[in-house]
Amino acid sequence: MAVIYNRERIGDGIHFTTLINKRQKTNTILIHLLTPLSYETASVNAIIPYILSGSSRNYPTLTHLNKKLSELYGAVIKGSVLKMGDSQSLYLVAGCINNKYTFDGEQITEEMTRILAECLIDPNASDGKFEEKDFELKKQELLDDIDAEINEKRSYAFKRANMNIFMNEPAAISVKGSRENAEKITSGSAYERYRELLKTAQIEVFFVGAEYSESCVKILSEAFSKIDRNYAGDNHSELSPLKNEVCRVTEVHDVAQTKMVMAFKTDHRNIVSLKLMNAVFGATPISKLFMNVREKLSLCYYCSSGVNEKKGVIYVDSGVEHSNVEKAEAEIINQLNAMKKGDFTDDEMENARLAIVNSWKGVSDGAQPIADWYFNQSYFGGSDSPEEQIEKLMKVTRDNVIEAANSLKLDTVYVLTGKEETE
Amino acid sequence: MERKIVKNERTGEQYTYVKHPTGLDIYIWKMEDYSTTYALFGTKYGSINTKFRTKNEPDFITVPNGIAHYLEHKLFENEDCDVFSLYAKTGASANAYTSFDKTCYLFSCTDNVYESLEILLSFVQDPYFTEETVRKEQGIIGQEIRMYDDNAGWRVFFNMLQGMYYNHPVKIDIAGTVESIAQINADLLYKCYYTFYNLNNMVLSIAGNVDEDKVLELCDRLLKNNDDPELETAFEPEPETVCQSEVTQQLEIAVPMFNIGFKAKPESGIEAVKAEIETNFVLALLADESSEFYKKLYDEGLINSSFSSEVFRGDGYFCSIFGGESREPRLVRDRLIEEINRCKIEGLDEERFNITKKSYYGALIRDFNVAEAIATTMINAGMEKISAFDVIEAVANITFEDVKKRLEAQFNTSNVTISIIEPINSKEEQN
Repeated sequence: MAVIYNRERIGDGIHFTTLINKRQKTNTILIHLLTPLSYETASVNAIIPYILSGSSRNYPTLTHLNKKLSELYGAVIKGSVLKMGDSQSLYLVAGCINNKYTFDGEQITEEMTRILAECLIDPNASDGKFEEKDFELKKQELLDDIDAEINEKRSYAFKRANMNIFMNEPAAISVKGSRENAEKITSGSAYERYRELLKTAQIEVFFVGAEYSESCVKILSEAFSKIDRNYAGDNHSELSPLKNEVCRVTEVHDVAQTKMVMAFKTDHRNIVSLKLMNAVFGATPISKLFMNVREKLSLCYYCSSGVNEKKGVIYVDSGVEHSNVEKAEAEIINQLNAMKKGDFTDDEMENARLAIVNSWKGVSDGAQPIADWYFNQSYFGGSDSPEEQIEKLMKVTRDNVIEAANSLKLDTVYVLTGKEETE
Repeated sequence: MERKIVKNERTGEQYTYVKHPTGLDIYIWKMEDYSTTYALFGTKYGSINTKFRTKNEPDFITVPNGIAHYLEHKLFENEDCDVFSLYAKTGASANAYTSFDKTCYLFSCTDNVYESLEILLSFVQDPYFTEETVRKEQGIIGQEIRMYDDNAGWRVFFNMLQGMYYNHPVKIDIAGTVESIAQINADLLYKCYYTFYNLNNMVLSIAGNVDEDKVLELCDRLLKNNDDPELETAFEPEPETVCQSEVTQQLEIAVPMFNIGFKAKPESGIEAVKAEIETNFVLALLADESSEFYKKLYDEGLINSSFSSEVFRGDGYFCSIFGGESREPRLVRDRLIEEINRCKIEGLDEERFNITKKSYYGALIRDFNVAEAIATTMINAGMEKISAFDVIEAVANITFEDVKKRLEAQFNTSNVTISIIEPINSKEEQN
């Protein structure tokens, strides 16, 4: 059953999208503040959603706020940052169960929306500064988070690879910025940046629930009307340029298993063709990479590909024994060459298509997935539903897939390996 | 065939339970208007089940660690093809997992539900491996074990279990060790398969927009009759005390990570479920994000937002774990013990108990939105021989008294193990 989509403008550069889905037992609200990624502001931006989601003027500590949210049947308000190509999104997400599931029919959705609006517009700040003590804790946490990126080696390798893949582009910047810049943030500079973003950022609000909530739209519209906007304009990303020669980087860490990330650049703009090509190549357990590199040759424990449609990159992410790195790279290239030559069966292509259809049809079942879907659509200035994208996908031909494969050029090979790996 | 509708008045939700003549427990929850269907077919067989007997072999035997997980890998291969390539024709997204006490095979799909279900029911009942295919898997599983060696979150948890338990196999990695998997051969796999993959020991759970009759028709056609082997599993006796009070390891991480575990006496069936819920309340009242204790430690910079707690339990083990990052993990442990002792004397906060009840309940309602969560709830209930609504009812009916008693019974502050992963600094870069 399709989701009812409605997008309305509620301010300069502020849009409110409602996604109504009868089966939802919860109400979810997402507020994205989108802004260009830059080395100077990434860290200070990153701290803001963590501060905003932990307190407000009326609920000045996390303890106060959490107690209130627990009373609302465990409503949650969380804040985080994510990378969208060359942009950074600072977002708050709030969710609670439908009023009808409460023990005594309490109106908890409206209450939660009011608190969310307050966290965003009326934080615990005075004299042009966030409250000092809370700020210091959040700053330490940001520093810890940046330091902790090394804990998970797969994502760490991916982050380091990105720095090389997107050399000299905004997308190379880590979503939480650098330690160096994070250390310089003060409660005053963070507050100043926050005020600036409220005025200039592209703001996208999403409401997902079983029925349209007039009162939630009203609460949020009123909150935004208090801001004196000076809109900086819509965000977009540039396709990543291909390097003159393949960039090869090897880093040594204390790891038992080697990680390899390969990146291929493309300027192909038919995104659905690219996605289908990616699915046949490496995105499913029946893909060429999984069946050959992992299963047939046992070269990798994991080996899969993904698309960064905003930057025009297909990457291959793998975990390999050090002694197999060269063999694995050669085999991955080999499999891509097969794609380029059209050396894949109709079955392989139809199965990959089916896998994508299956996953897109399921998007409407979840609150966050459908909100993320439309957020991504809005980034490209579109509003296609999953069903509309499926229609486009169904029209992709074998030649389109071959054409998409042939647009790929190897750009970067990043390897993170262990010290004692000498065998 | 026993077939009944299980309805929950409080939420208006319902599902169908079927006891199939083959011995299989089947749970079907129809979700009108949803696109996704999620199905789980599982056996009550996990990494801890290394010692067992049946009526055909009345003496207990012990097998190498890691077989349940190894079997999961091997079942994904048919005689002529990979199971993934069968699902490829239906578009379903398929997977499997092995935990401490169960192995589950699953798919999620939006179209071709019955075709996908046919694949699921067929391949799990049709093992095929030879010495050669078993040997080949050793490389892949060895890689998987090595991958977890680098994972600090995984290590800190297992090191704690190793400190806490003397004998219980829960302390061994689910995948086993490179040495233990070297002892696995086709004969052992078949032996364990025929012991544990008996429909009397299994559960099928489906949530989504499905037609119940069609599901049962498929089951009638595909489920194979098997004799109940009267399986019995056993564990070496486990002392009540912890084996080691501290375990540390060094890895390349930034801030030290810790797990602090309080060992408690295990229970079984509905009693274990109640114990888990009541303990969850104790954990929330002691140290969740709205507790005074959390605020104090957070404000002092002793913990950060990664701090959390959970109950970890199963056949023969039960503990409460506090985990997170801290520059002074031992001090966090000492403060926790102090706080537990204080609450035992001064009592817990009743107002916060009432609030926690609402928020626990709300989280369970949220789960009813998601096919995966529902199917998982049902299979867990099936394996514990309880109703899928027992948890939500227990939460709605819990009293402050229950929680106070649980604090007394379950938190022995001398049965504590702390596991710490300390950072090593060894960064070298060569570009």
